Amino acid sequence: MEIDPIIDSGNGALVLVKQGAEARVFESVFAGKRSIVKERFSKKYRHPSLDSKLTIKRLNAEARCMTKARRLGVLTPVLYAVDPVLHTLTFEFVEGPSVKDVFLGFGSNGVVQERLADIATQIGDAIGKLHDGGLVHGDLTTSNMLIRDGTNKLVLIDFGLSFTSTLPEDKAVDLYVLERALISMHSSCGNVMDLILAAYKKSSKQWCSTLNKLAQVRQRGRKRTMVG
Amino acid sequence: MKVFQINGNTLSLALFTDVTNSKELLDSMQAGTLDPEVAFLNASLIPDVFPLLAAAHKTLISKSRESLTTRTLHSELVYNYSGSKHITESLKRCGISESSSYVLAARFNASPDEMKAVEKLISGKEIDLDELEGRADQAHIQKHYKIPSPELGISTLADAITCRIAARDAL
Repeated sequence: MEIDPIIDSGNGALVLVKQGAEARVFESVFAGKRSIVKERFSKKYRHPSLDSKLTIKRLNAEARCMTKARRLGVLTPVLYAVDPVLHTLTFEFVEGPSVKDVFLGFGSNGVVQERLADIATQIGDAIGKLHDGGLVHGDLTTSNMLIRDGTNKLVLIDFGLSFTSTLPEDKAVDLYVLERALISMHSSCGNVMDLILAAYKKSSKQWCSTLNKLAQVRQRGRKRTMVG
Repeated sequence: MKVFQINGNTLSLALFTDVTNSKELLDSMQAGTLDPEVAFLNASLIPDVFPLLAAAHKTLISKSRESLTTRTLHSELVYNYSGSKHITESLKRCGISESSSYVLAARFNASPDEMKAVEKLISGKEIDLDELEGRADQAHIQKHYKIPSPELGISTLADAITCRIAARDAL
């Protein structure tokens, strides 16, 4: 009889990685594998019963959207566990830098065109697949995209604002948010958005209506004006 | 056999082929006379131990909150591994049937003596857990867990199953 010593995944082993407005992110170990725990904490300014309802709803929505993205062929971290009592999601720890760090590296050390084109193509392809499957990410920024070490494959993270929709409007806003993020963070990389949109066109069958809408959204901004 | 640590508990696993007495095992399990209590899983649906550990983790948490859905800790493991909410179907498909010959036995917090007793219960040939991957029935797994082909392009079977086990109650 052999015993496989696997490190305990008790709550004692949590290490805080990041704290945001909606959730805290910890590093931990789940059944012997390095993992990430995302905890949605309660907001003390909300009525307790409303608070727990909202938290559970968003927790489940995030789990659903992450697994739906995988079904559509878009890499996301493997979901390990959902805990509706502690309000936590546990998923795979993806080893590798964020696209933000890679692009910022290009900004300071010079652009590696080949790598840039590869990443942009993967981004456009992934968003096209999501959108054709009726899933809108809702928070497409370069810090929510990771490049896995070794395989150099793009992994999308943070589906906390994701929802299902087939409206060209929602998809166009999704792309617009990314475009703004690229312009403000990574203008030194040249026009990455064109590369992304070229790949998007190849991957999405409904690219035409989305890109038409994107042109309109660019004119007016992310929010629809509702005056008059 | 092999022992895995999960949250301060252990899960002992032993894999058997050419099992000839699955009808007896099934009968004594359904009568509740199985001693020691143990979970029997349809091993052809298990390509790797990790999804089973995820199911075990979920089971232990339900147990600690006294919110088991099924009657015993070990039937809960089978139910959780199925990734479905239908208890009868889960136990039928992921548990053993009268004709099963390829079986994974699992027991929480088993003593070495208890695992020896489990090995005696089963008339079959014990094999190494590394054989799980090669012996898994991919078509059957894809059908049971409804894994579409775009997902298989980016994911292993084991990862796809783990996601379904974890997300079941969120759906």
